Amino acid sequence: MYTPFDFNEAIGHRKEYIEERLREGSPVVGLAYDGGMMLLTVRRTQRKIYEIYDRQMFSAIGNQSDIEQVRLAAIQRAHKEGFDRSPDDVTLHRLVGFELSPAIKRAFGDQLTSPFVIKSLFAEIGAPGREDVFLVLNFDGEFRQLAGAAAIAGTQVAEDRMMERIGEPSPARSRDAAMRLALSAWIVGAREALRPRGGHKDEDDLDMLLSSDSAVDESAFLRDELKTASVEVGVLERPGGRESRFRLLAPAELDPMLADHA
Amino acid sequence: MSNGRFEIAGDFWSLLEQSGHPLTRPPSAHPAGGSAGHGLVDTHGTTVIAVKFDRGVLNVGDRRATANFAVMYDRAEKVLSVDDYTLLAISGSFARAMDVVRYLRTAFKLFERTYLQPMSLDGKLAELARAVREGIPEVLQGIGGFIPILTTFDKAAAEGRIFFYDGMGARFESTEFGAAGSGSLQIRGVFDYIVKTKKPFHQMTREEALKEALYLLDIAADLDAATGGWSKVLPLAKTITKDGIEDVSDDELRELVREIERKP
Repeated sequence: MYTPFDFNEAIGHRKEYIEERLREGSPVVGLAYDGGMMLLTVRRTQRKIYEIYDRQMFSAIGNQSDIEQVRLAAIQRAHKEGFDRSPDDVTLHRLVGFELSPAIKRAFGDQLTSPFVIKSLFAEIGAPGREDVFLVLNFDGEFRQLAGAAAIAGTQVAEDRMMERIGEPSPARSRDAAMRLALSAWIVGAREALRPRGGHKDEDDLDMLLSSDSAVDESAFLRDELKTASVEVGVLERPGGRESRFRLLAPAELDPMLADHA
Repeated sequence: MSNGRFEIAGDFWSLLEQSGHPLTRPPSAHPAGGSAGHGLVDTHGTTVIAVKFDRGVLNVGDRRATANFAVMYDRAEKVLSVDDYTLLAISGSFARAMDVVRYLRTAFKLFERTYLQPMSLDGKLAELARAVREGIPEVLQGIGGFIPILTTFDKAAAEGRIFFYDGMGARFESTEFGAAGSGSLQIRGVFDYIVKTKKPFHQMTREEALKEALYLLDIAADLDAATGGWSKVLPLAKTITKDGIEDVSDDELRELVREIERKP
């Protein structure tokens, strides 16, 4: 017989399964700055930050095919809404709250479906008179809205430490200052997520590198990561001449920030 | 939703089909479907003209939209951008044409955001052909037909290009010029006369080509009852070059129009 206990147990197992797979995902940081909003991450071969619609962008950690599913679903639903009504009517709140979250929650709770292994971070630059919004969507369908700053990482502790590093959000920051802060928060999150659990310190070298918070060690960690990866920054800029506000920053725009860690 | 996961459509057209959007639905399926003669008169855009010039391609159109013998609107915009380098000049049924323009804008953006690269020119032309073709059932019922001219700047070839369609969705590329709408037949031969006696449009400067296009529009307005002149409202003109789409300013148009009118 299937009991409520079994349901709890099964959900617990699913949660554990997903969290284990998300653990080593490269964190993503979202920050507002004086000219718009940014998402920053470090990626290997696969691009990680994507445009969804005129005012929306997205990044995620998790299973690549699940990321593509959520990305395509978000893009298609946003374009359908924009066509049926108006591009101004496309909002993250509706997109995530009414379209993505219910489906992800259903897949998570349905024992016969494989759950989405994904944690997503969306950003939306507000239309005139509307707020800028970050929205974090979890693998169980839960979502929360944030203003000014947001972070997703493989573990809750890593996310907490990233938000600590970011501190009080300050949308008046310049893009360069925001980018430096976002990168520093990424380092904190990535190091935390890689930290061995439960006190098993069999990888001494790694632990040495991870346990210190000094700026020198953080730079060393970043340099090490960047041997096989690169920093990716996507921005939504305040309305200019073009309809589309999203772009990925060019490598040359990242160089001054990376020089700090050389 | 299938399998508890997301249902993803192959492209924007199928996405609209799934939801039964009227653009993709043959009118026989409409509750009020039937033959023309229900008293429904759709609004039509009249004459649009596209010609090449040495740095790209330009479009001009009068501002009139008519329904039978009534002038519905004298500030209609019939040259519309569908992306940063592509203009659609529309003639015929306004309602469907405007839907198609919005459809193309959305479909091109959706494609680029999905596949992380812009849709190819051939892909765009095929999308437009489909949108025209799918309107045939409406045309057969006496409403809804429209004929577009698509102009774009081909970056690979570094030149402007002009494509026109027939009512079935067949696509043709024109080397020099294109025109559609009620006044286009009356001026068809004038294009050839200009090319043969002056020079090909693609060798003209922007100013030369613009002036010829305005002359053509003026003749169309003289010979076609539905085409609006410019006595009250200036025509609309846009260019596409390697730098993208640009509106020809009202001041420049006003000056050219005055110059044309000064001639006997």
